[in-house]
Amino acid sequence: MARKFKITNNIRKLRFFANEMTQQELAKKAEVSRQTVNAIEASKYSPSLELAFRIADAFGVKIGDVFDYEVKGE
Amino acid sequence: MSYQEKRIITSTVTGALVLGAYCIYAIGKYQSGAVAPEDLKFWASTMLIFIGIGAAATIVIQIVFHILLSISIAVKEKIRDGQCDDEEIEKTIEAEMVEDEMDKLIELKSTRIGFIFAGIGFVAALGSLVLTFSPVVMLNMMFISFSIGSMFEGFAQLYFYRKGIHNG
Repeated sequence: MARKFKITNNIRKLRFFANEMTQQELAKKAEVSRQTVNAIEASKYSPSLELAFRIADAFGVKIGDVFDYEVKGE
Repeated sequence: MSYQEKRIITSTVTGALVLGAYCIYAIGKYQSGAVAPEDLKFWASTMLIFIGIGAAATIVIQIVFHILLSISIAVKEKIRDGQCDDEEIEKTIEAEMVEDEMDKLIELKSTRIGFIFAGIGFVAALGSLVLTFSPVVMLNMMFISFSIGSMFEGFAQLYFYRKGIHNG
């Protein structure tokens, strides 16, 4: 069976701990649109490595603290 | 609904209206007998005119759309925060209209879908010639399939914005 990878994230939690940072504020820091932040948060879009680093940088944490992945079908 | 979705709906509706106008004009002319069935020059010039109308309409409607959107954002910002100045409103408008990597990926994937439909139409148009239909039929099939392909591109973009998109 082919393995499937699903990228998960903690953006909602990190926004909460960053003084309830809005999606718009995060979008501005990461230089993307609010809709893209919303799509990433809802796991509807997997960001590029560059954008993932920018998001982690916006929270001041490591990329692994923001994104993780699940392996399915092993 | 986001800025990108509104922009896509506007351009898709414009494309559909121009295609509808072409169909009404072409069928009307054909049925009235004002044009000979094999007059390729008439059909080619009509299509060129409608391509021009389509381009001009898209530009004008996009300009009007962006003006209206900017006004609506400015009004919303003023209502939300009465103290905000023009610079702040400008920044909000710019942030709303930013195009990023997700928009580019969606555009790329939907363009491919649009080209598939246009390509199928092109092959079908060539097939119609082989099946001894007139060149006018082929010309119309090509024109309509490219227009429909462009509309499908818009639908695909809307679908990807709603359902999400993943790399690979």
